[in-house]
Amino acid sequence: MTGVSAVASEVRAAFDDRLAHADEAGATALALGLLRSGVAAEDILLGLIASAQAAVGARWVTTEWSVAQEHAATHVSERVVAAVAAAATASRPRGSAPARRVLFACVEGERHTLPARIAAEVLRLRGFDVTFLGANVLAPHLLSHLHLQGPDLVGLSCMIPSRLPAAHHLVECGRRAGAPVLAGGSGFGPGGVWAHKLGADLYAPDPAAAADMLALRWPRPPEEAAPLEHLADEEYFRIVRQRAELLRRLRAHVLERYPWLSEPGARHAEAVMEDLNRLPDAVAAANYVDDPWVLTDYLSFAAQFLPARGVPTAVLGSALATLSEPLRGLPRTAAYLEAGRCWLTAEGHGPHTPDDQAGPAAGPG
Amino acid sequence: MTDARARRPAPHGGGQARDRPGRKLPDALLDLVDQAVVVCDASGVVSWCNGPAAVCFPGLRPGMTPDPEVAGPLGQAVAASAARFDVEFLGRWLTGRRSTVRDCSVWLVSDDTEMHGCAVELRAERRRVAFLSEAGRRLGASLHHGRTARSVVELAVPALADAALLVLSPRGGHVDWHRCAAPGAAVEAGALPAATLERVPRLAKALSGLSPRPAPCRPGDLAALGGAAPPAAGPGGECFVTALPGGGAPAGALVLVRASGAGDRSAADSAVVREFAFRAGLALSTAGLYAQQAHTAAVLQSGLDPAPLPEVPGVRLGAAYRPAPEALGFGGDFYQVEPARDGGGGVRFTLGDVCGKGVEAAVLSGHVRQSLRTLALVESRPLRVLDVLNRSLLEADSGRFASLVMGAARPAGRGALDVVLAGGGHPPPLVLRRDGAVEAVDVGGMLVGALPGAEFGQAAVRLARDELILLYSDGVTEARGGPTGAEEYGAERLAHDLAGCAGMPAGAVAERIELRVAEWLAGRAHDDIAVLALQSSPSSPASSSSPALPSRSGSSGTGTPGVPR
Repeated sequence: MTGVSAVASEVRAAFDDRLAHADEAGATALALGLLRSGVAAEDILLGLIASAQAAVGARWVTTEWSVAQEHAATHVSERVVAAVAAAATASRPRGSAPARRVLFACVEGERHTLPARIAAEVLRLRGFDVTFLGANVLAPHLLSHLHLQGPDLVGLSCMIPSRLPAAHHLVECGRRAGAPVLAGGSGFGPGGVWAHKLGADLYAPDPAAAADMLALRWPRPPEEAAPLEHLADEEYFRIVRQRAELLRRLRAHVLERYPWLSEPGARHAEAVMEDLNRLPDAVAAANYVDDPWVLTDYLSFAAQFLPARGVPTAVLGSALATLSEPLRGLPRTAAYLEAGRCWLTAEGHGPHTPDDQAGPAAGPG
Repeated sequence: MTDARARRPAPHGGGQARDRPGRKLPDALLDLVDQAVVVCDASGVVSWCNGPAAVCFPGLRPGMTPDPEVAGPLGQAVAASAARFDVEFLGRWLTGRRSTVRDCSVWLVSDDTEMHGCAVELRAERRRVAFLSEAGRRLGASLHHGRTARSVVELAVPALADAALLVLSPRGGHVDWHRCAAPGAAVEAGALPAATLERVPRLAKALSGLSPRPAPCRPGDLAALGGAAPPAAGPGGECFVTALPGGGAPAGALVLVRASGAGDRSAADSAVVREFAFRAGLALSTAGLYAQQAHTAAVLQSGLDPAPLPEVPGVRLGAAYRPAPEALGFGGDFYQVEPARDGGGGVRFTLGDVCGKGVEAAVLSGHVRQSLRTLALVESRPLRVLDVLNRSLLEADSGRFASLVMGAARPAGRGALDVVLAGGGHPPPLVLRRDGAVEAVDVGGMLVGALPGAEFGQAAVRLARDELILLYSDGVTEARGGPTGAEEYGAERLAHDLAGCAGMPAGAVAERIELRVAEWLAGRAHDDIAVLALQSSPSSPASSSSPALPSRSGSSGTGTPGVPR
């Protein structure tokens, strides 16, 4: 990441303070002041806002901040990005060839617009002609823009691996319309391993690297990618069809084991249930890209998220067990669930950890 | 099977006529086989050959050493001690194989000219089919005119030519061109004044549709194109212009330049060029039509999209808008906020929902918004405004009606905000108090445009500092989703989620509510969704929240999802 050192730690602390108070005016004034004092806009976007926002996310995971605080801070960050982008001018020399057109989108179900927004602005500052389509872009939406604008490149942001099947739709959509696809975001896995699996032409760990790669060599016009052969066993489609039933069983199991979650006004109950509801999607996505890492990635997040909200990690092992019954007869899926169980045991979140507060009447433990 | 007769020696020709007296029976029999048989003794000298050998190697006689001069590939194989060869010699495709019998090398040589010709033709045909299918795939991939034009020249080089220039039909006084100057070169593009074509009769003729066949270009014919001209073909090369037939007039003209002897063009005969020109022309004219219609739709839509929120001292605003996904950005929900005109500060605002969705609802919502804007100039009493709007909608006789809440918010000192509301048939706005309590404000009233003489309601509410009022359309409360996928999000869940927003700026509240609904929907279909939040802004006037919508260029705004362009 470039520019982290370009923003002094006391500036960063002041910015964090503005975010904590949802002080949009203060945060904007601080960032624009940096810009006027000569700090590059890209360094402000990546070195200040993006890294401050990462800290915001971490505070939310540990419940140091409420959802409302996190959301208000994110809103302020978005506004500051807009203000910095509006004030900074692209470094493109006048009279050079027309700018390459880039269509930038967050995959369907993806709500984290800020990283994609920052990436779009960095590419704009590097001289690309960028159109940002925002969060939760569905294939028909992308398609109509592809036909309307004929971009040279489609940028896709995916922060959660559970959304990889949706990302694949958009990758195919862009490539079939003749635009190579640049993938970015932690949802594409370590080193972008799943981006390549889904046929993306390019993966970049951060927007500055993406701009550098594009300056070096523009990707060739895409050719039809090979289909994902492992999907021929239809396991993925069977999981998706059963989603409602899986969620129902999961919910019943969790509420039986931790009855306090269904009490009115229980703190964090909603966030806990929402997080656990993502488990079937993680299993489905692991199946889709044929990699148990998608599931363990979810588990490693949940193993931080749940204990901070009063639910022991032992719930994860028993949740996996709850899913294996309705998903029996799916050998690949069984292997992923087993890999998930092994990961939990290896990380010390096994089914019999002493912190399990389940009562004696609770279900299988 | 190939026809053996053609490859046999003439009955009385050849070195060893089979009816020569004294010729042994085995020799005569070996003259009957299709293959040439050449026997070399241990010292490498040809000791015997049959009749067909004289056809393949006319100069070869027993007693000679098979040198490459006379025996071609056979001689080379002998010199190199190779056991087989497969090569063209004197216009025939020869395949030879060596066997050893006692001390002698026996060469069996087949004349595979016909088979080889078929294989070459088959490969060429496969290349033609592959090229045309690739062309079909890429030309059909995008409806964007510029991208299609680029694909045309990218496809033409190197498959059809060493350089290609596509000149599109004149539009608005200029002609666009796309060029690939050499295999592997990037595609360049530009525009020329349409008048240039008068000095390039070859192109003008092709673009007018008067020249349906490819016409050769002489050097200098294209000189008037200046910087757009393709590279010269050079001596021995060729250059020709093909019209790309579109719907009616040609969609463009394609100049193909081939250097002499460069590359294998067996797949690039005139039938392929004609077929490619046909597909390219069709794709270009379809893309042109699409661009026209898309432009029309975009212009109309820009008039129907919610306008950016104004910056007004003392009031902080936030909004979110998500049309039903299948309508490509057209929706029947609307909101608008304008600075108050009466000099008292604050804003006037409206949020409404025209029944139905898609472009039909969007057109009527445009009508309603325009009427409200006009009425605001002559009438400040909201109940009167609603009355006139009701009559206007009934007279339009569209069979459509609307629900809406309109009102004004005015700073009342000490960070308070006085809000007056009027409306009909709309879900009650919610007030978020400082302690997190949520109150519904019952405005009442009947639907607008449904019945003559309908009556409308009014309400007033005071917001203290940090308190907020939320207006929303029924797309929010009626969003079906949740664990079962069939449950409505509902007023209760909305109130609960709003309570969790205490202390947040209006922009973040609007986004958060929209996000909660989207999470509830989890990707399911939904009706149009509109949310508008108002609160008093903290002391600093600069902090009022500006537009919550991405601009047309997508360069600013908070990227409210679902809003196209």
